Amino acid sequence: MAGLCILLLELAVVLIVPPMLRWPPNVTDASVGFWAAPSAVHWLGTDDVGRDIFARLLAGGRVSLMVGGASAAISVLLGAPLGVVAGYYRGGWEFAIMRLADVFQCFPSIVVILCLVSLVGPSVVNIILVIGIMGWPVIARLTYSAALTVRQKPYVEAARLGGASQAVVLREEVLPGAVAPVWAALAFRVGRAILSESSLSFLGVGIRTPQASWGNLIQYASQITVLTGRPWVWIPPGICILMTILAVNAVGEGLRRAMDPREEGRHA
Amino acid sequence: MRKKCFLTLALAALMALSLAACGGEEAKRQETTVRYGIAGAWDSLMPYNSVSASNYARLIYDKLYDRLVFVHEDGSLSPRAAESWESVDGGMAAVFHLNQNAVFHDGVPATAQCWVDTFRLMTNPECPTLGRSQFSVFAGTDENGAALSDGSVAAEALDEWTLKLTFKSITTPEEFLLARNREFYVLPMHLLEDVAPADVMAMPLWEAPVGSGPLMFEEELVGSRLTLTANTDYQLGAPGFDKLVITVMDKSSLLTSLISGDLDYYAIGASVSDENAEAARQAGLTVLEGEVPTSFFELMLNNETVPAPIRQAIDLALDKELLCEQNTGELGVVTDTSMLSGAGHSTWRRDVGAAKELVASTPMDTRELMLATTSNRAGLAALMQQNLAEAGITVTIETVDSATLFSGMTDGAYDLAIASHTPSALPLWFTESRLKPGNNIFHIGEEALQRYAVELSAIHNAADDEARGAAIKALEEHLAEEKPFLPLWFARSLHVQSPTVEGIDYGSASCSNENVWAWSKA
Repeated sequence: MAGLCILLLELAVVLIVPPMLRWPPNVTDASVGFWAAPSAVHWLGTDDVGRDIFARLLAGGRVSLMVGGASAAISVLLGAPLGVVAGYYRGGWEFAIMRLADVFQCFPSIVVILCLVSLVGPSVVNIILVIGIMGWPVIARLTYSAALTVRQKPYVEAARLGGASQAVVLREEVLPGAVAPVWAALAFRVGRAILSESSLSFLGVGIRTPQASWGNLIQYASQITVLTGRPWVWIPPGICILMTILAVNAVGEGLRRAMDPREEGRHA
Repeated sequence: MRKKCFLTLALAALMALSLAACGGEEAKRQETTVRYGIAGAWDSLMPYNSVSASNYARLIYDKLYDRLVFVHEDGSLSPRAAESWESVDGGMAAVFHLNQNAVFHDGVPATAQCWVDTFRLMTNPECPTLGRSQFSVFAGTDENGAALSDGSVAAEALDEWTLKLTFKSITTPEEFLLARNREFYVLPMHLLEDVAPADVMAMPLWEAPVGSGPLMFEEELVGSRLTLTANTDYQLGAPGFDKLVITVMDKSSLLTSLISGDLDYYAIGASVSDENAEAARQAGLTVLEGEVPTSFFELMLNNETVPAPIRQAIDLALDKELLCEQNTGELGVVTDTSMLSGAGHSTWRRDVGAAKELVASTPMDTRELMLATTSNRAGLAALMQQNLAEAGITVTIETVDSATLFSGMTDGAYDLAIASHTPSALPLWFTESRLKPGNNIFHIGEEALQRYAVELSAIHNAADDEARGAAIKALEEHLAEEKPFLPLWFARSLHVQSPTVEGIDYGSASCSNENVWAWSKA
């Protein structure tokens, strides 16, 4: 519950507050100069271009949360149907899809993402697509194992014997039962995607200037002067990432428990 | 008696062993290694076979092979392979009196004939020389630097230690050396005698090269580490250390490695940004300020996609003072020209209103321009983007590596690009290389290019200083009118003084040479 509250609060802040700020995230305040320390005007000071870091933190939050949510959604939209098809039809489908998942998973994902983003270019859309596409095998494995169980259930057998087509059985009977564990995994995928985006931005191949993201704000810490002398530049985005990851993990854990029948038994 | 004898012998053996061990310890203690960091790898150890022709590669060649002179930060020259030089034949040729103690690392003398043979081989069309266009200044070569006939390059050994080079146009030795000293090295021709010119670059010799520079090859881990040993026979004196280990490192790690003591020095000149200088000072290191500008910043423009009025508008819209401050702190001066003599004499003024008018009155296919920059200048690009947006010019920023930036400008993929160069005291150091048909990176129209060629030629052929000054002024006025590129500012450098190595000429590293023979490490 606390995780959900933090997430909702973060979303509210990054969506509602930016239009109220005096300084837009991409505008230089020449009157205070570059790398100004925190003040009443610029709560977190200014960056190397004289832009308000607080405004950029909020703008960066929008981007980071969007990358997290959208890429997790792509992973689910790709992975869930593939996993269900593999688990329900088995045979050739199962072999092809699950071996493909093996291939995807046998490479370190961050390295593959790094290469792909370098190839297609580091726009927000490309980063969302690449992170999303690289996340499908995890979701597919979950739905695959759930579909293996669900396909044995009497109600699925009854639908088949009742003359329903394979597509209808799959869509109406198997899919709803098989995707239940995905909701918990979805939250974890959001966290992983935010971390991936941050890593890419930190390595300089993520969200590019002038667009802000939590990752490229932290990237300033690669400069020794910023790391040692200007903690207000990199600690806030670091805390934001940490809080978000903890919150989505808590939400994911809550969802997992809510959908786990054994947990239900324990509570009873 | 026998026992006493045995004991005496044992004692003597023990003493001998102890002395030997002490000697070993002494030898180990005396071997000093200078640990040298570099942010870019060399692509070959053969100086005329470098694809990148980067300054990092040049700094490696500078140590293994000898050059004619050492170029200082302020443009002054001091002897290296050549002890003295003079202009002859009415300014059409230069004579270099070589140091008679110069020898290759295998002991063979590096004579004037070695220089001549090197030039003949590298200009031979059959030899796959990279960067051969550098030889195009010599008589007897075509515009690509290839010899017009067998051995026709105008390099001549007047005697064993006197080298004569003849140019295509009047060129003083100083002009030649300032512009091209870093491109010419003497090769061990006695090791290339029976090799066909076409096979020279593929020789195993370049995996463990023999040069006549101040350091000798010992070991290479390709693309990662190079170990060199001091050449105690170097004609300018032996380096004050035994080994130099060059390690390729990420640029952002160089200063931290120096602070932590993992490095003694890093290329190029241990330069540090104004920002990071403070961290170096806090770590107890001394930061030296360069005396003359060592970098020139320009905004490259694609003259084909960005018409002249828009180029003028960009010049008026950019807040050069603010941009200069963002990039260099207090170390830069805004400029209107690429000429070093113009540093500090800018008449630049910002006029966003005038820029807007120019933009509004100029038809363009698209108002959105693509600005390429390297990642370390992303902030600068963001600031330019804001400046130009005020004048109604929309800019999209593309962050790329340096090679992509230059190839993208050449291909026409980008409209604008931020670049910096090491300036030279020669007035035409920049314009001469940029405003010529073979290197039209600004995509200047044929007609305009012809006019620049005429103006450059007038400067070269000027009879006296007054005529030369007038010709330079005419070119500068034309450039101000057309703005094929935008000069932004000159900047001096800050150098972190090595806490362990003495004798380093930090500023001169920007001229792609380092006085390693004068370095010493305790």
